[in-house]
Amino acid sequence: MNDKIAAYAHPDVLVSTEWLASHLDDPSLRIIESNEDVLLYDTGHVPGAVHIDWRRDLNDQTVRDYIGPEQFARLCSAHGITPDTKVVFYGDKSNWWACYAFWVFQLFGHRNAAVVDGGRAKWVAENRPLTREIPKPSTAVYPQPAARNDAAIRAFYHETLAHMQAAKPMVDVRSPGEFRGEVTHMPEYPQEGVLRGGHIPGAQSCPWATAANPDGTFKSVDELRAIYQAGLGLNPADDIIAYCRIGERSSHTWFVLTYLLGFSSVRNYDGSWTEWGNMVRSPIERSTP
Amino acid sequence: MAEHPQALKDIIDLCAGLAETERREMLISFADGAARQAPQPGESFDLEDTRKDEECTDTVGVFLRIDDARLCHFRITLGPQVQTLTRAMTTILCQGFNGASPETVLDAPADFVPQIVGAELVRLRSQTVYYVLGRMKSAVKVWLNRQRAASA
Repeated sequence: MNDKIAAYAHPDVLVSTEWLASHLDDPSLRIIESNEDVLLYDTGHVPGAVHIDWRRDLNDQTVRDYIGPEQFARLCSAHGITPDTKVVFYGDKSNWWACYAFWVFQLFGHRNAAVVDGGRAKWVAENRPLTREIPKPSTAVYPQPAARNDAAIRAFYHETLAHMQAAKPMVDVRSPGEFRGEVTHMPEYPQEGVLRGGHIPGAQSCPWATAANPDGTFKSVDELRAIYQAGLGLNPADDIIAYCRIGERSSHTWFVLTYLLGFSSVRNYDGSWTEWGNMVRSPIERSTP
Repeated sequence: MAEHPQALKDIIDLCAGLAETERREMLISFADGAARQAPQPGESFDLEDTRKDEECTDTVGVFLRIDDARLCHFRITLGPQVQTLTRAMTTILCQGFNGASPETVLDAPADFVPQIVGAELVRLRSQTVYYVLGRMKSAVKVWLNRQRAASA
């Protein structure tokens, strides 16, 4: 473990590309690629990595929700994952979807999990091996979890509304333009049907990328403390909700606050702006540059 | 309903019967060819439209040349962050609409896209697959408007 990773509150949930390269043949691991670019895995991936797509594999196909315990057990079993398997996530976009998949795995209590610092881009930039060979892990036995435990790390609309009314800390991790209400989507992304621009009243703006270096790695613990504790005034014991557009960028911030800084109560509001911005009678704020 | 150009029909036919794995391989193969759709030295164009806008993750440049027989020839440049599916559609559409009339491009119904990329990818990333087609139609529309204005 390098010094930077060792300094985080929970260093066991982050691994370096060097570490991953030296564990490619470790049978106790399952490497999982999770991307925004739906065909990126097929163009070449870390040897031995399986592909989990957030929409196909982690979302329910008819209800706006995540898969249930039975589907989760089936997904893990099909990828050769047991409750003891260490799952190691990496992906594109500075690990947005890797963090999102990590977060979904935590809804089911799969604690033995980690994210690769720097994700796919760093692995590729270091000229590490890629393959198009799709691994075919033997089906494993993953007992169906008793329940999906949303309460601790996931916030729903009514909980976010109560949080706002109680003036508790809330972090809006979208781009500044989205926060101000000038646009209803990320600058380079499609409009996803949000009727109003703005932010949840009382939320502070802190774009997700503030926590990342240009190479996609996470900033050091001191830099993160300066951003979230000194800058935003958040405390490790605060009850915090993070949100973005559909919960992917806020998964990244949830990961940073929970595991890298050790905050004890952070929830990801995955309904995020596509729910809040459209909800009848939900209050919003706008601000000027 | 407007007829698709033969080159596009050929690609549709090629992809229509493929299983999902083969289809993905085919799309990646098209994506690998996207760089070859960029303008070549010495080429000139009737319309150039390069921009980074809200529907795509990086800059996309559309270059349109209309030859003496009033047929379209497209070249497209893609920034490095453009997604694989968009790169695949770039090759498919440049090949498929090469030599088509402006009206054929403009009137082409978009329902061929799911036939090429498959229902699953359309369902998973519905907003990605139509982007390049929209940009090409937009370029043709601008060229047609200029022609109409010039002849008015």
